[in-house]
Formats: sequence, structure tokens, C-alpha cells
Amino acid sequence: MFYRLSGVHHTRYASARQLWPLPADRWQVAAVFVLAVAAPLYMSDLYLSSYMLPWLVWSTATLALTLLMGVAGQLHFGFGAVMAIGAYTSIHLTQAGVPFELALLVAGLLAALIGCLFGAAALRVKGLYLVMATLAMQFLVDWVIVNVKAISGGAVATLQAPAVEFLWIPVDTLVARYYVALLWAVIVTLLMLNIKRTSFGRALVAVRDKDFAAAVIGVNIFKYKLLAFFTSSFLGGVTGAILAFCFYRAVTPQQFSFDISIQLVAMVLVGGLGSTIGAFLGAGFVLLAPIVLLNIVAPMVEAGWLPVSASLMAHIPLMIYGAMIIGFLLFEPLGLAKIYDNARKYFLVWPFRHTQS
Amino acid sequence: MRHSIRSMVGSGLAGAAILAAGLAGGVAHAQDKAPIKAATLLDFTRVYTFLTDEYSQGQQDYIKLLNMEGGIDGHPVELIVRDQGSQPQQGIALYNQARQEGAIFFDFLSTPVANAVMPRANEDHLPMMTFAHGRADAIDGQRFPFVFPSAAIYRSQAALLLQYMDEHGGLKDKKIAFVHIDSPFGREPLALLEAMAKTKGFTLKAFPYAVPGTEQSAAWTDVRRFRPDNVIIWGAGPGQAVSIRGAISNGISPKSIYSVIWLSETDMRSFQGDAVVGVKRFTAVNTGADSAILKRISEKVIDAGKGTGDAKVVGSTYYNIGVASMAIMAQAAKQALDTQGAPLTGDKLKAGFEMIKDFDAEGLMPPLTITDKDHQGGGWGRVSEWDGDKWVPLNDWGHAYQDVVWQLVRDDAEKAAKEAKK
Repeated sequence: MFYRLSGVHHTRYASARQLWPLPADRWQVAAVFVLAVAAPLYMSDLYLSSYMLPWLVWSTATLALTLLMGVAGQLHFGFGAVMAIGAYTSIHLTQAGVPFELALLVAGLLAALIGCLFGAAALRVKGLYLVMATLAMQFLVDWVIVNVKAISGGAVATLQAPAVEFLWIPVDTLVARYYVALLWAVIVTLLMLNIKRTSFGRALVAVRDKDFAAAVIGVNIFKYKLLAFFTSSFLGGVTGAILAFCFYRAVTPQQFSFDISIQLVAMVLVGGLGSTIGAFLGAGFVLLAPIVLLNIVAPMVEAGWLPVSASLMAHIPLMIYGAMIIGFLLFEPLGLAKIYDNARKYFLVWPFRHTQS
Repeated sequence: MRHSIRSMVGSGLAGAAILAAGLAGGVAHAQDKAPIKAATLLDFTRVYTFLTDEYSQGQQDYIKLLNMEGGIDGHPVELIVRDQGSQPQQGIALYNQARQEGAIFFDFLSTPVANAVMPRANEDHLPMMTFAHGRADAIDGQRFPFVFPSAAIYRSQAALLLQYMDEHGGLKDKKIAFVHIDSPFGREPLALLEAMAKTKGFTLKAFPYAVPGTEQSAAWTDVRRFRPDNVIIWGAGPGQAVSIRGAISNGISPKSIYSVIWLSETDMRSFQGDAVVGVKRFTAVNTGADSAILKRISEKVIDAGKGTGDAKVVGSTYYNIGVASMAIMAQAAKQALDTQGAPLTGDKLKAGFEMIKDFDAEGLMPPLTITDKDHQGGGWGRVSEWDGDKWVPLNDWGHAYQDVVWQLVRDDAEKAAKEAKK
């Protein structure tokens, strides 16, 4: 009923193979897209700048990481460092007068290059050992940024993002910054949706499922593992630059610390490995749940319903948040994306109960 | 799929309702008499936990006292206390939210969050306090008009410790070990120490240890080989006790250990007996509960059963720093109201801060004088010594080598100007 299947006949391969073959899905995507584009019209500055914008940027970063972890199956616990490389590169380049668009590209390329260097470890090691190699990347990059004054600008320095233009439009207002982030999110989302349908994506999936089996059927695992790191790090680097210019408007080493890498991994896992919508849901959950919970608990404390100290009040949202993560993982180990998928499948045949999976 | 549609829709709706309630949670509460809203968005849960509880308790108790005594010219002060977990993105979100609720003063007590909010606060014309932490060049009121460290920054603290050593035994041809946490905070005084080593003729050697500082044995073995005359330890939280243990087990007398401001009673009481008697520390705010404000807090707030937390904490180092931070804010707000009238805005409060002259919070701290150029307030402090039970001041309030401190700030400003031109 909600997803009317009757009368949907695909008479061409092109229409059967499109991203969303069902009209209902297309409507939903269109509605979400319109809502996102019109967000500055109906959202206050507070919501746009502190919830919507960071959510978009973190979702994009999660997409980049889920390409590597979910699609290609290579664990990466140093993605914060990849984003840091992008952020610092872009800021230094724009300070030197390079146009923003070009700086973004170079930021992505440099992140991809360094990401590949550490990703090369993936050629030899897998699983937990790869986690260690990427962790090493996180700490090495952190150390270099903090200790090389030419990069960080000194021990406690904050580098301000200079005023830039994107395609001849100055990125100086919140709305402009929001649209830049949205544009990049849309590009990466479309890329992610399509990449799984290409030979490249299928090769990555083959490598993920069993790398030597993939080699047997003719997939060059040397090439595809490195390509996975390259692509993902490129996207991560550009996202880091977007984060620096559109959200923080400044960079310090702490903005890309180890904690951030772990948070990104949490976003990928809570959302669902390799899922596009999962990246958005996971980022939204990990990023916004603590703040939302704090906003529920704090007024209750202030109204006197909960007689606790400020310190305990600060910890209650984290306790609930932790319990929620455990709850989600127990209820649906495949992440929020799977919960969405279950709901969708249910409504696909509603009011009947016969679903395929 | 065996879930019924009712449960699915139901849980979905409940989720949406909770989300909506959460996002709307920040709406202002109506108050009777134009309150002044101050936001203390602190880190209760992640990195700065070792001091935040006591610090926030001091702030809240002082504000309670202030409101009991009639507020600021009749305006009550309303504190917005939230946890930002030292995460910049959460700090920015809470900052925006508090700003929407009408807060005109901000305190973060977390370097990453403070640094992330600084450009925004300057843009929004909202004063923020970075009491004895944050970036050093923020004391330059011309470059950071809305940031108020309001106390001796780390470089001034190191300068004061050096001056004390100079007055007690001299610095010439001495060997000083600087054992610090390997983070921006730990490296901060290095520039000053190096400059002073040249002019005063002592040998300086830095011994960094890795974050979070719970493991320092490698650094201390090196220190032992260096055979220093004095040791300056620069860390915070649990790492400080580890530093002192490392120093003592490597044959360094507690009398020649000097510490940054972050060394509390709790850190020192973890040692048995007289092992650490004689350790010295920079002090920006008097400890103990015998100053006028603390006495009134004890009397009207604590004894009346209205205290925010454990009464044992009252008068401890971090508690008193919390009291002092709010007392400075209240003084600034009072002067702003007296000269420019209600309602108070960020710009008026900034002007109020810059009118603070010889303010010592009734004897709680050194005389603070903030001007439009100097947001540090003179860089005052003193050296205190641990006597086995409490911190005992060794000298009078003073400041040291401020010309060097400011020269470094000017260098930073020049460098920043050059970079901006590029």
C-alpha cells in the first residue's frame, strides 16, 4: 500500500537498474532532498549550525569510512588523522592563496597518498593487526602535526580558516557554509550508492568476503586494496577540509584526535557496515544522541524533578547513551540501517505479513 | 518479521517525541527579574574531570551566595551548567544553545573547546573566560577582545617559579629540568623558559612524557642522569602524582620540585607521611576557607544546607579557583551595570571586565587589573609549599618577567599578522 508495487513494470534494463526502481522510494528520497535543501528556510541558526551542519559533515566522513570498512572490509582506526591531513593541507594552501576548489582537491590527494602509505600495511595484515597499523597512523600523524611548527603553527596554535570563495560565491555566511557541506554530502552519497554497482565496487566486495578467493577469480587484490584506501582517504581528506572550513572555521590538532577516529568507527558500526543510509543514521545517533539526552535530562534537573549534582547530571546522558548502543546492538546487530530495512520491508507488503527476509 | 505494526509505529513515535523534546529542551525558562545568564559549559566526563567537580561546585556555591545577597544590583545570576566532554563539536552546539537562551558570559575550562569557540565568541561579541588556561596570546586584548584569561597564564606561572628560584639560591649556572606532558599545554612555557635560560644563564633541559601521563618512568630515568638542581613539573590530573613519585624515587628532594597551578590537595594526600613535604606550586588563588568570601559561603550556603556538593571540598584549590572565576565575572557585571545600565549585553560586560581595577575578591586572590590591552590582569601569583596537610604561601603576591611574557605575545601577534597577509 505504501510502496505500491502493482503497475510498476520495467520495460527497459535502464529503468530496472536505476538506483530506486520503486516510485515510493524515489518520492522519499526527493522529499528528504527537498527538506535538506530548504533547511535554511525553516531551521533556526541554532539548529542549522549546531545540529544539521555537523551531522551532514560527519555523515559524509562516515560514508568515506564505511566505503573502506564496510564495502572493502579493511578496518581503519585512524580516520581522524586522514581528515586532519585534509584539513591542515587545505588551510595552508588557501592561506598561500590557492583557490579553495583546488585546495580541496589537493587536500584530498595528499590525504589519499598518506592514507595509501599506511594502507599498504593492509597488503600484509588483516583484522586486528590492521587496526594496530592504522592506529599507528593516527598517533604518528598527530605527533607530526603537533611537533612540526610549520604545520600546526606552534604548540597551542589555532589556525583560522581564511575567507574563501567556492565557485565565485563567498563562503562567509552560515547558509553558504551549509550549502557547501550539503553539496559535498550529496556528491559522496551518490558516489557511494553507485560504487557498489560498478566493477570496482564488486571487486572491493570480493576482497572483503575472502581476499584469496577474490585473487583466484582474477581480482588484483594488491591494486584493489590500495585503491580502497586511496578512494576512502581522498573522500576523508576533502571531508576534513570541509569540516575545518564549514564547521570549525579553524583547526587545532585536538579536533582530529584519537577519540574522533573511534567515534567515526562507532558511527559506521551503529549505522551498519557498508550502508549508505546507515552512515547518516549512525552519524546522527553518535553525534546528536548525547546532546539530545543532555537536553532532556538538564531541564528535569533544573526543574527539581531529579535531585542530582551537576557532575552526575553530566554522566546520566552518557549512561543512557551507552545503554542505547548496547540495546541497539542486541536488538539488531547489523545496525540502524538494518532496522530501517526491516521497517521498509514490512511496509513493502503491508497489510500482508509475507516478507522475503 | 513478527513485529506488529503497532509496536513499530509506537516506538517510532516515542523516539520522535523524545527527539523533539530533546531538541526543544534548551528553551529559556521565564524568570521574574531580568536575570543575568552565565554559561559554564565544562568537561565533567572526559579529560578535565580531576578538577571540574570541585571547580563547578565553587562556582555554583558562589552564585548561590551572590543571589542570596541580592544578586548584582538586584539582578539574580542564573548559571547554565552543561557538560561538553572536551569535544569541540559538542562545545560549539552547547555554546550556540546557551547563546540562544540569552547567556552573555561563557566559561569552558577545556582548551580544545575554548579554542574552537574563540573565533565565534569574538564574532558574536560575547565575553568568555579562560581562567589560567587556553592559548597564551589570548591575553592580548587587541587581538582577542572578548577572551579574558583573567589570571596568570602558563608562561607567567613559569616566570614566577623561576623568579622564586632566582631569589632563593640563584639561577646562574644551575641545571633545571622541565618535565612536562607532551601536549600543547605541556609545551606552552618552553618558549619562556628558553628565553630566560639565555638571559639568566642556567641550563634548561625538557623531558616530555606521553599523554595521558600515567607512565613516565623513562623520562625520570633521564632526569636522574641530568642531575638537576631544580625540577619543574608541568602536567595535570593523575599525571601530577606520578611525576612527584617519579622525582622522589629518582633521588630528587621534594624541596626542589616546582609545579604548575594544577596540583591539588587530593594529589598530595595520595602520598604517605612526610614524603612530599616541601613540594612547591604556583598559586593564583588562595586556598583554605578563611577569606571573607569563603567564610560567608560556609555560613550562608554550606551551613544552611544549600551547598552544591561535599562540604569537605570547600576551600580546596580548585573550589576556590571556581569561586574566584565567578567573583571576577560578578565584579565585571556590576561595573558594567553601574556605568552603562541594564540590560546587560556582551559588549557592556566586556567593558565591565576592562574596568576591573585592583580587585582581589575580598582577599581571596591577588589584586587584578584588566585593561583593554592586558586581559591577563598583570600575571599575579605566589609560590606555595605543601606542609603535609595544606598549601602554605611562601611569598607575597607578585609577578615576574612580564616584559618577556609580553614580548613572546608580540612575537606571536607579528607571526599571525604575517600569516594573515600571505
